[in-house]
This record gives sequence, structure tokens and C-alpha cells, in this order.
Amino acid sequence: MAPDVAAGIERLDDRAIAVDPGAIEGEFTKIWRATSGAASDESSIRLRVLNFVAFAYEAAGANRFREVMRALPQRYPCRGILAVAAPGQRQLDASIAAGFWRSSGGARHICSEEVQLVGGAAQEPELASAVLALLVPELPVVAWLMDAPDFGGRMSREILETADRAFFDTAGQVDTAAVFGHVLRAGAGREVELCDFAWGRIATWRELVAQFFDGDEGLRQLSKIQSIEIDGGGARLSSESLLLAGWLVSRLGLSLAYLAPSGGRIEATLYDGTRGVTLKVARGADGGAAPVREVRIRTGTALLSVGIHPESGHMHVREQREGGLSRRTVASPRGDDASAIAAALDDRADPTIYAEALGSALALLAAPAPDA
Amino acid sequence: MTSPTRNPLRAGLHMPRTPDPCALVVFGATGDLTARKLVPALYNLARERLLPMGFSVVGFARRDWSDEQFRAAMKDGVSKFSREPLQDEIWESFARDLHYVSSDFADPAGYRRLGERLTKQDQAHGAGGNRLFYLATQPTAYAEIAQNLKEAELSRVADGSWTRLVVEKPFGRDLESARKLDRSLGAVFRERQIFRIDHYLGKETVQNIIVFRFGNGIFEPIWNRRYVDNVQVSVGETVGVEGRGGYYEESGALRDMVQNHLMQVLALVAMEPVASFTGDAVRDEKAKVFHAIMPIEDIAGSTVRAQYTAGAVLGEQVPGYRQEPGVAPDSRIETYVALKLTVENWRWAGVPFYLRVGKRLPKRATEVAITFKTPPLQLFRQMGSEGPTPNLLVLRIQPDEGISLRFGAKVPGTRSDVRPVNMDFRYGTSFGVEPPEAYERLLLDAMLGDSTLFTRWDGVEAAWELLTPVLDAWASGVSPLRFYEAGSWGPDEARTLMERDGREWHRM
Repeated sequence: MAPDVAAGIERLDDRAIAVDPGAIEGEFTKIWRATSGAASDESSIRLRVLNFVAFAYEAAGANRFREVMRALPQRYPCRGILAVAAPGQRQLDASIAAGFWRSSGGARHICSEEVQLVGGAAQEPELASAVLALLVPELPVVAWLMDAPDFGGRMSREILETADRAFFDTAGQVDTAAVFGHVLRAGAGREVELCDFAWGRIATWRELVAQFFDGDEGLRQLSKIQSIEIDGGGARLSSESLLLAGWLVSRLGLSLAYLAPSGGRIEATLYDGTRGVTLKVARGADGGAAPVREVRIRTGTALLSVGIHPESGHMHVREQREGGLSRRTVASPRGDDASAIAAALDDRADPTIYAEALGSALALLAAPAPDA
Repeated sequence: MTSPTRNPLRAGLHMPRTPDPCALVVFGATGDLTARKLVPALYNLARERLLPMGFSVVGFARRDWSDEQFRAAMKDGVSKFSREPLQDEIWESFARDLHYVSSDFADPAGYRRLGERLTKQDQAHGAGGNRLFYLATQPTAYAEIAQNLKEAELSRVADGSWTRLVVEKPFGRDLESARKLDRSLGAVFRERQIFRIDHYLGKETVQNIIVFRFGNGIFEPIWNRRYVDNVQVSVGETVGVEGRGGYYEESGALRDMVQNHLMQVLALVAMEPVASFTGDAVRDEKAKVFHAIMPIEDIAGSTVRAQYTAGAVLGEQVPGYRQEPGVAPDSRIETYVALKLTVENWRWAGVPFYLRVGKRLPKRATEVAITFKTPPLQLFRQMGSEGPTPNLLVLRIQPDEGISLRFGAKVPGTRSDVRPVNMDFRYGTSFGVEPPEAYERLLLDAMLGDSTLFTRWDGVEAAWELLTPVLDAWASGVSPLRFYEAGSWGPDEARTLMERDGREWHRM
């Protein structure tokens, strides 16, 4: 399991600099030299294991990026580059910052090199070219589309050409079905690996639900599933609860027999060739912020449930079988961006599982699956 | 064992599966190991969602405790020793499944009560009769507990369930006692049911020896007698016997450290590549290494044993071994061992492996140092530079876990001076996370039935076959006991052992 990351990095504050990749490289080298031998006889190391490139179309993205760079490099030392194409911005500005990790011997090791590039909407080509020039050679490139999973913008297109993985979030978008369809289309035939934060946020849910069906008795229960109910939070059906439903439908090999989407809920009857399974996806009655609040699976002989405590955030797992009730409480991962990115970087999941879940979720939304 | 691929929901998840529901029975549950290591490790596994539903712990010990007293003692242990802070809500959930049976290890009635408790647990949680028995007791109790488990029919494996036994070191105190113990356990459990813990193998950095060797393309081609001059496995401890004088008087450094930890590390360094990273594949290759180690013929010339006297360590005065509580004033037990072994196989013929371990040394460190041969032509000596320092690869197991490589580089200037420089990799700086405790990994593996990181009887026996003659020779006065001052790097004779071969110990 990926450990959470927490902010623990000393930071050298932002300083403005010319948009000149050579000058920026020179400044980082100077910072490195200045840290060597300052507080310890241990030499200072410059640590970078990946290029982390974020795009945003609003200046507010800078704060979110900075928060991530305060924590992520503790687990993934990196060069972080933020490119913002903000409406109203007329010129191209750059600033840099650095983060240090302090060893037990007192030495400061550079674990993050941050570059922020801010330009106007018309300056996407310049921004993209500056980003490309600043990438550390030979290291993987991870791109983060901060605002929306838009793979067609000028900046996105150019950076995604060189990226190994692209992070985005299907949650919080106005038209979930359209976003799912867009992501499904974008993933087809592309070399970059697509990583949805919404999918990452339900990793623990998937893990805990899967645990019910480990072992011989679990497998017997799997073939007896009668109903699945997923309660989500938020103002409308969350991307996470839809993906969770899509994942169960696709992994269990269920096909849609009847669908009644109405008023922010889904009721469906599914069929696996031998039996029917009912599926309900709804918003919880009392709302709440958690995108998924509870999953209940009823088999012929057991009621299995996973829920999240609204205050502690811990997860409660219950298994009511013939003869007894088992329950336990486990920790849930932190939900911040840095922890989500670190968890996704740790986990080289099979992208086909996500694509299949996405396709099934689209079907549940009664949206036609896009042609691959 | 359930195949990980049968549950379709597991596809693409990080863990291929969680263990089957089971009960872990800890014998000697009121001892230090349970509160310091075992229960904190289990708590962290529970917290991180790695334990199955229907998991429970039953403590078994003489002390007259209730379930509540056991839970309170374990909560205290988790509060003090867990790597993650105790969270009440998670603890309460975990503690519900902690139980306690009070009994003498010799009392059959206690095992009947244990059986009843386990049956009740099975019924309540659907644990299916899966049992993991953990012997956290004095080794003298192992045979008796195993026999009583058999007589109470608790070792019997019901259809579709499993029963395993975890045994702490030491596994015997010489070849004969180890064989006797193996026969006792073997009368109750099959070899594949016995998991002998060597917690060194649960350490991330020890496991990384395998990753380093076989997960990289550049080291394995030079990992042999053509390029390697010698290998040194060193364990330095700054502590003394830490109140365990009674135990140490019965063991000594050879039994306590060399026979298990150092031999296991040596095997990982020397073994051949495996076709798969599975229990028997790795252990087969380690066994081949043990069998390729030549018996030590010249025990006086190839081994050094010594005991520390009073001195200063880490800036503090410390007493000598003989002044430690529980230690005889004329004790002949060694607190330091250095020895030279040779692995006579195609890969290592002629390459000496030096092992050393000592208490009250100046520094706490565990390292494997591989010294490479120098280049065939001393090119830069002809140009007035000093001869090359051999390349040195150091695998640091603790503390400051990492790897460093020493190589020669040109000193800037008009001359062709060569100076050795170090390239360092440190775990902390590249991964920045606290690795799980060795016991977390080992307990989880035992529940999953994965024996890769546990020692197999043939390996244990081979190590005793090699070292029992050394113990016998020492007992008869061969290689006299030497003395070294606490805070020094050991006796002069250890240095002489290396100097005779034209080598020196790597400085830790």
C-alpha cells in the first residue's frame, strides 16, 4: 500500500527569473552549490527521479501546485514545472523555488526544483517550448492536467507527446458522461498512460470490496451476489461512485438488462448469464462531502458493506454472514493531491481495468460508448 | 492456498490477495517480543487493510491475565513501539479480536481451552480452521508446545484449511540440538508448515540485495571470482548485552549472530540467480551456497573470538562483559567473532568471505563490502600517480541504509592524479518513507504461506554443520579467547587475520 505523503520539506521561497532555460538551470546549480557543506560535513545531494509538469488555465492553479510540491518530493524527488496560460496575462513570467530534505546527519539535500511559468492564453506555444527545454533528460515525465481532462489544447498536446503518464480528475466536472467519453476516446491509441484521480480515490474501496471475495468461501459468495448498492455524497452522482459501479459491473462480467436512470440515481438490472443482479447508485440522503459513502453487497447468505466515517474518515468494514458478524475499522488514505499523485505513481495498475470500468460507467449513464 | 487470479476483483489491484481468515496463536504472549514487535506489526497491518476479515489473535502464556489485561498490555506496547501512532478507533476495532488463554505450556487442559477458544472464533468469524502458531517462548519450550498441540489435535489440518508454525531463533545451539529440535517439530508439522524467522530477512535492505543483484544488468556480470577480490559481511553493535546476560552466556556471538543472520546475508550475496522469486527457488539457491562453503580446517588461523573489556563507547564509560548482570565473572563467551570462509563453487572459488560481528564496537552498522580486483595495468602509477584504490561496493543494511560505490577519478589539474571518490545512494533520500518493520512483512508472508523470507531446515542444518566444529574446537581451547576494549574495533588478532591475506577490514 502506498504510504501517504505529508509536507516535510524546507523550502527556499520563490524568486523571479527570466524565462531562459539556461539561466534557470544555472540558478538551480548555484542553489545546489550553496547548500553543500552548510550545516554538515555530509555532501549535499541533488535528487530528481522524475519531471512533474502541471498545466493550468487559471492563476489559482499555482497555489495547488505549490501545495503538492511541498509534499510530493518527499517521496518522489522531482523537478516540478507549472505552466499557466491565464486569461488576461500579457507577458511570460518565470519564478523558481527549491525544496530541501534534511538528513539525520543535518545535510540539506535538494529534493525539489520548482519552476513556475505564467503566460497568457495566446502564449501556449511559448509555454510549451519552455517546459520542453526545462525537462531533466532521461527522467520520466508525468503531466498533470489540473483543470480538466483536456487532451486537445496546444500545451497539452505538445507535452503529452513526451509524457509517460498523464494525471487528471474526472470528478467535479459538469457533464460526467461527456468527460468519461472524452477520456475513453483520448486513451485509445495513445502511448501516454492515463491516470484518473477519481479512480485512485476509489482504490481503497476496490481493495476492501475485493477482500470480501478472497479465498474459497469468498469465491462462493461472489457467484451468489444479488444486489449492489452504492451511496455517494456531493450534489450529484459522483464520478467516483460511477467508476466504482462500472468497475464492479465490468469485473463481474455483468451485462445491462434494464436501466432506469432518474433524478440523480441509477437503478439497473444486470445479468451474468445465469442470474440477475440489481444495482443502485444514489446520492446519500444526507449528502456529505465524501464522493463514496457506503457500498453494500448482498449475496444469498451474506451482507457485506464498506463505509466511511464522516468525521474520522476511517473506513468500516462489515461482513454479516450466517453464524456471525465480523467488522473492523481501517485507515483510509489522505485525500490530498500529493498523496493521490504519490499513490498513483507507486501503483502501476493495469489501464485496461480502468478503461473497462469507464466503459461500463458510461453504459450506466446511458451514454453510448465512443468508438475506440 | 487460493490462487490469486481466481477473484476477478483482484485484477489490477496492488495486493494480489489478503491472507485467508485465520487465528494467530502467540505462545509466550506476555513476553517482550509480543508487545514490542508482534502486536505493533499486526496493528499496522490491520490499519493498512492488509489483514483479512475474521482475523484474530490468541495470546497463550502462564501469567494469569484476562482478555482485558492482555488487550491493555498490548495497547501499551503499540503506543510505545508502533511505527504509526495508535489511533483509538482503529485500535478498538483491532483489539476486539485479541484474546488470551492462561496456561502453563505443559498443561494439556490449557490446550483444550485454547482449542475451545479457537473453535468459538471460527464460528464467530468464519476463520475456517486456519491457524498460525507463533512460538515466542524460550526455545526449550518448543518441543513441548508442538507435542501438546498435536495431542490436543490442534496441529491437525482440516479439509481446505491450513496450520503453520512460526519459530523464533535460535534454532538449536549446535548441530545435534538443532537436529533434535527439528525431529521434535517434524513429528508434528511438515517442513512446509514450519516458518523459521530470521528477522534480518524481513529487512528491506537485506531484500534489496536480491533486487540490486538481479534487478540491474550491470552488476551481475562482474559478481564473480574474475572481478571480486573479497567479500566482507560486518555487523557492529555499540550495545552490550542489554540485560540479557543470562541468555548471552548460553549463546555468544557465533550462535546469536553468525549462524543465522550473517550466514543468511552471505547466502544472498553469493547465491546464483533464481528463475522465480518464490519460496523454494530462493531457498534452494541459498542451500547450494551453504553446501559449497568449505569446512574450516584451520580453525585457529581462520577464526578469532574475543570478549570486550571495560572501555568507552559513544562517549560513555561502559563495563566489561564479565561485569554485566547475569554474566559469570570468568565467562569464556565470545562477544566478537571474525572468521574467513571460502565458497568453493564455479562463481566464487578462491574468493574469501570474511565475516565479523561484535558488541561494544565504536559504531552501529551492518554492511556488506565487496572489494573488486584492481585493473591489470597500473597505468597511472607509471605517470607518477599513486596506484589505484580498488573499487569498493558497500551495501549498507543499517543504519543509513543505502549503497555506495568507490571508484577512482582524476583530480582536476595538469597532473594525472587519481583520487578515490564515492557515489552514494541512500534509501531515505530517494524514497523518503519509513519502511515497514521486518515483522510486518514476515507475519504477512507467514499468513499468506509465502516462505521465501524464512529459513529452511537444510539451510539451518548446513550452517550448523559448518559452525559446530568451530564451537567444539573453541571449547577445546583452539583459538584462545582474546579480549578487546569496549569502543575499539575488536582484537588485534582480527586485523592479523586480514593482514595475513594482504587485506584489511573495510572501515565501517
